[in-house]
Amino acid sequence: MEGRLANAWRLTANDKSFIRTALLSEIRIDGRKPYEYRKIVVKFGREDGSSEVQLGQTRVMGIVTAQLVQPYRDRPKEGILSIFTEVSPMADPSFEPGHPGELAVELGRIIDRGLRESKAVDTESLCVLAGKFVWAIRIDLHILDNGGNLVDAANIAALAALLTFRRPECSLGGEDGQEVIVHPPEIREPLPLIVHHLPIAITFGFFSNDSILVIDPTHNEEAVMGGRMTTTVNANGDICAIQKAGGEGVPQRVIMQCLQLATAKAAGITKQIKEAVEVYNTERALRKIKRHPTSTGVNVKERQDQSVGK
Amino acid sequence: MTNQTIMLGGGLRQDCDAISVMKAGTLRFSKPNKYWVESSQKRYTPCVEDTVLGIVVDSKADNFLIDIKGPVLAFLPVLAFEGGTRRNIPKFEVGTLLYLRVVKANFGMNPELSCTDASGKAAEFGPLKDGYMFETSTGLSRKLLSSPTCPVLEALGKKLSFEIAVGLNGRVWVNAATPDTIVVVANAIMNSESLSGAQQIIMVEHLLKNIQ
Repeated sequence: MEGRLANAWRLTANDKSFIRTALLSEIRIDGRKPYEYRKIVVKFGREDGSSEVQLGQTRVMGIVTAQLVQPYRDRPKEGILSIFTEVSPMADPSFEPGHPGELAVELGRIIDRGLRESKAVDTESLCVLAGKFVWAIRIDLHILDNGGNLVDAANIAALAALLTFRRPECSLGGEDGQEVIVHPPEIREPLPLIVHHLPIAITFGFFSNDSILVIDPTHNEEAVMGGRMTTTVNANGDICAIQKAGGEGVPQRVIMQCLQLATAKAAGITKQIKEAVEVYNTERALRKIKRHPTSTGVNVKERQDQSVGK
Repeated sequence: MTNQTIMLGGGLRQDCDAISVMKAGTLRFSKPNKYWVESSQKRYTPCVEDTVLGIVVDSKADNFLIDIKGPVLAFLPVLAFEGGTRRNIPKFEVGTLLYLRVVKANFGMNPELSCTDASGKAAEFGPLKDGYMFETSTGLSRKLLSSPTCPVLEALGKKLSFEIAVGLNGRVWVNAATPDTIVVVANAIMNSESLSGAQQIIMVEHLLKNIQ
């Protein structure tokens, strides 16, 4: 018990009152303004469908894999999308290894709702043989470092991984056209998923004194704030999901203000994700070009000079 | 080597006749006979005579339990204050920040702290009011306490007025008149870890220009 106490992360009484006092003058402890986001860096791994997102000190990794399974009975022509979250104790001393805590489950559910309810990923194109075989897309989110605002970072990681994921192409064959042949990537180029739009999650923190609102709270601010709300919006202005679980109450005009702010931020973040994916796709295409080793030419004049000299 | 009594500091251990090193780092020597290994980490290994910043976790009958970022919680005896008797035991709430001195630090035991210096006087130890505390690595806190003054502190001190308390356990407390001064000082110190002296001065100038 004492060992666990020694490892817990604590906030002093000084810090709690300082964070609140500084917010009254619109100053946050890392120097940001209240409606400013931290720097987002999106990186990709070598495999298709693996991304790592850094939001300030928060780091999340997203991995997308696909498998051919039997569809659900009530939806025989749709593919399946599932999200799994794993929090590592290296990310935060309060995370325990093994079963995911409340935080991990809530995180998974917010991202799941944002993607599923808004039909961002086209599940009908994932159907191979109605009633028998569909693609099940599995998104694994690994929380590597908790610097605050895990939901937003995990959401961006999931979207970036989905955009760069490629599933193998398959066709129907066999005697009665009921057999599914999955083509290996060397024979037929794998296909990207059809993603209609990008639902971006934006988290707000509420502080009780003078109803102060901040975007993208850090770890310290999360420990001090009175309530939080996550709104998932896309660049077109559609609201995909809102999550406000517990915490202090907020008036309706604050919620409307949050939605307007979120739509403004979502456009910028969508652009950033798309640009990063573009860079990755270009790099991937360049990697695919096979250069013949002897096709590099030699200067003709040089060879003539050499033979004359000898 | 002549017969000499050597004092072994952190990172060194004596097994019978041989001295073995316990962690990676630079071997340092200070006259007349002290040897120790210095390295920079996130966690702190308690050493005697270090000054640290601790957070109160709990209070028991005889001790306060203090978190000093070490492997175990440390004890602060309730009488370890200047003029401390059973009648005037201070009351610290959970979460109070204290500036303390390490009195005993043995391997496997809870370290013992004190709010007085070796002669029993208060000498700046005790609770710190207001301000903002942030965490750094142990290497950075040693750099901040080294003499001559660390370049980042000197550059900040020329333009801003602030109060600072550095704990060797990787905690720094800053206090100033306005919140934005505190934020600038805290961020400047946190950024200065991997920069050279000249780069630190440039970084501080850049930060100060942004707020003026």
